[in-house]
Amino acid sequence: MNPLTRFVYSSLTVAEMEARKIRHDSTELWTRVVQPALWLLIFGEVFTGIRGINTGSFTYIQFITPGVLAQSVLFVAIFYGITVVWERDAGLLSKLLSTPSPRSSIIVGKAMAAGVRGVFQAIMIFGLALIIGVNLRFDVLDVLGVFVVIVMTAMCFSSLSMVLASFLKTRDRMMGIGQAITMPLFFASNAIYPLSLMPSWLQTISVFNPLSYGVDAVRALILTGEYSGLPVDVAVLGGFTVLFLTIASISIRGIIE
Amino acid sequence: MTAIEVVDLCKTYPPDLRAVDDVSFEVDDGEIFGLLGPNGAGKTTTIKMIIGLTRPSTGAIRICGLDALSSASQVRELLGYVPQAISADGDLTGYENLLIFAKLFYVQKKDRDPRIREALEEMGLTDRANDLVKHYSGGMMRRLEIAESVVSRPRVLFLDEPSIGLDPSSKRQVWKHIRRLNEELKMTVLITTHDMAEADELCDRIAIMNQGRFVASGTPEELKHGLGGDMVTVKLSGKADLPLPPDLGRSFHASEDSVDILTENGETAIPRIVAFYEQNGSHVLSMALSKPTLDDVFLKYAKVRIEEAERFAQARQVRRSFMRHAG
Repeated sequence: MNPLTRFVYSSLTVAEMEARKIRHDSTELWTRVVQPALWLLIFGEVFTGIRGINTGSFTYIQFITPGVLAQSVLFVAIFYGITVVWERDAGLLSKLLSTPSPRSSIIVGKAMAAGVRGVFQAIMIFGLALIIGVNLRFDVLDVLGVFVVIVMTAMCFSSLSMVLASFLKTRDRMMGIGQAITMPLFFASNAIYPLSLMPSWLQTISVFNPLSYGVDAVRALILTGEYSGLPVDVAVLGGFTVLFLTIASISIRGIIE
Repeated sequence: MTAIEVVDLCKTYPPDLRAVDDVSFEVDDGEIFGLLGPNGAGKTTTIKMIIGLTRPSTGAIRICGLDALSSASQVRELLGYVPQAISADGDLTGYENLLIFAKLFYVQKKDRDPRIREALEEMGLTDRANDLVKHYSGGMMRRLEIAESVVSRPRVLFLDEPSIGLDPSSKRQVWKHIRRLNEELKMTVLITTHDMAEADELCDRIAIMNQGRFVASGTPEELKHGLGGDMVTVKLSGKADLPLPPDLGRSFHASEDSVDILTENGETAIPRIVAFYEQNGSHVLSMALSKPTLDDVFLKYAKVRIEEAERFAQARQVRRSFMRHAG
């Protein structure tokens, strides 16, 4: 096998490992649906009713469905670093890193697994949106496009989380940082209100927030059908993802030192 | 041929901890080599440097002639590693654990299934192969980890404290399997341990490590022989620290009420030792004659019995974790 084949094969193997674990115990997948469901059912319904946020020609609940989806994927992905710390403590990570598989493939495989969880979130949230009658464009290609964007978003934030894990190194600190960065990432994005309603300093921050690009892409695909911003969204999100994956592949060695 | 060659290996942690301090050794192809020492002696750090998990501060490492630092990924193909903590994945079945590792080691597809089956069979895990590993006993988990090595067939296998925490019969089983890997699959094995019986039972050669340094090495026989003769342990009431006349032997380790004496011929020395103490105002309560053990060897070189060293290390750990929480 040449190095590239090896890299792909090992990444898929690590992703397979995670997928098999989910198959044995899927409790976590289901509990992860509770929070976005509350955002849609309570926050979404209430704010749609009071019409407090101007979302143009769409109802508020239509507007936030892509945002809630991206947020729930962010929450799933950002705690991947804790899994890595846990695997380090259990000795499993040392063993993974002592195999001939390249280190980057271990990182990419785990990020892909986060992507699998993200796609499950998307399916559940779309299902919920259908049930409560949120009007979305369920075109096959658009939905597939959403899956691609969701996988990228999950890979982006799970690798960011693994970068943090390799510097913070303990579960307690990772829990803390996970809590500390998810809400700011969420609020400094266009997930639950349009960028135009933000104060200008927050708009500036959200330009550097990968989540905004994910939300924007999902919204374009499933809600507005306005694809002109899509290439930029995908390029920026992809750029962040590759950047974080690269840093994580190098920094992961730090966690076992 | 040399399987492992380590030259002037050092690992320092800031500000001034020398975890591994200028260690050099060679392990021949087909040997079982033991690194012996108390917790904190630097055994695990040494292994981690050899398999590329920790970067050495200075020094050179060659595995089967390949430079472990510059050709790291090639070298990892030749290595197997069983960490000290039970590292099998509890959320997967035994079979899945082996399958994933076979893939990560790029075992060819046609060899994969037969080898996994063979490994499960050999380790007595066939009927539990489809159970989640978190329901296994500690001994079964260890055997599963050894099975991973049967599947990936490394040239050199590293086992960090392979029998720690296992009951005596699981321990013996693990030893049996390690010996099989060595004899039948021709693997060179490096184990770390602080279990003297394990080192004595398994290892062709051992090195004793203390505070980051090698303090002695050789075959278990050589090391024990190096102490010379028999060991006579005398329990006394009264003075235990009397200087012994040289023709009786030499005092090896003395505590308040007992003395270990190394002497050429234990049987003939016993009556003379009794007479010596009785004449000098001490009363002999009991005596025991034994051949030197590796524990005695360890005592000589590390200046502390291994269980005592263990206690120090634990006390240090407790203190450290206390300080972390307090600070």
